[in-house]
Amino acid sequence: MNNPSAGPSSKTKVGSSQSSETSFKRKRGVFQKDLQHMMYGFGDDPNPFPETVALVEDIVVEYVTDMVHKAQDIASKRGKLLTEDFLFLIRKDLPKLNRCTELLSMNEELKQARKAFEVDEEKLASTE
Amino acid sequence: MQTMKQSKDPFEVAFEEQEESPPESPIAADENETQTPAAAAASGQGDDVGTSVPPSLPSTTTGAAISIGAAGPIVKSKEEDEEEDEENMEIELGKFPPSGDPDKMAKMQTILSQFTDEQMNRYESFRRSGFQKANMKRLLTSITGSSKISVPMTIVVSGIAKMFVGELVETARIVMTERKERGPIRPCHIREAFRRLKLEGKVPRRSVPRLFR
Repeated sequence: MNNPSAGPSSKTKVGSSQSSETSFKRKRGVFQKDLQHMMYGFGDDPNPFPETVALVEDIVVEYVTDMVHKAQDIASKRGKLLTEDFLFLIRKDLPKLNRCTELLSMNEELKQARKAFEVDEEKLASTE
Repeated sequence: MQTMKQSKDPFEVAFEEQEESPPESPIAADENETQTPAAAAASGQGDDVGTSVPPSLPSTTTGAAISIGAAGPIVKSKEEDEEEDEENMEIELGKFPPSGDPDKMAKMQTILSQFTDEQMNRYESFRRSGFQKANMKRLLTSITGSSKISVPMTIVVSGIAKMFVGELVETARIVMTERKERGPIRPCHIREAFRRLKLEGKVPRRSVPRLFR
């Protein structure tokens, strides 16, 4: 599985013929649009410099990569990689931990709500 | 589904409140709070653990479209993004700033009602921005090499990454004030911010140094 081009900082632009899910080459600017809005929200200019956005994207990808590798190290004892492994990694960082538990419980609530909504729709459909 | 109109979007409520009654909290405290809306909101978000079930939950899928129409003065320059971002917004709009705690909610409403247009714009970007689920999923798949990345995992990693971006940008702004520079953030500020975050231990370090970058 070790592949020298698996490094996330590979700078080649991938042609459309290589955009498979397991491709290890990474396009530039994948998160560019999202990051511009995000950086503005956190205090940057309404129009951040493109170089800054590119640098932040590189840093974030490296951050996520390192974190995933650490999570995989933790998970390797148990077997599968689970969401709990990420929560364990950030256990010392209270704002992040609280935010993640909040997001997860919201996700659950939305799932329940959607389920309830579908059940109602079925009832309506069957009574027509 | 289009007839569900009871979205209680915080921007909408704040605008209504502005017309009804003046805020009751002391001005001095408010001024400080309105100066750093992003920081206050960020820490407010972080403190929350329990969330009460918002009454407008069933309408969150359409809540996005409806509250956009209602909160007119807010600049809506990202309308094309709305469809793609709808999944993100379901999560964002279904939750109000410190929910479940009436005191915090009231505080938040008074803060929001006093936002200038620019502050409201920025706060909106702060709440709504996020990483695309599909892109994050693709990234996680390519890192782990396994094909099954669960949705909660994507959500958690996106949340962590967004907060990390926040730390980077805020630290970069601190660096800029120290250097007495203004304007958009430049890469040198981000690099210095990243260096400081590493010193604080907020960045996972590899026990084996990275080769062949």
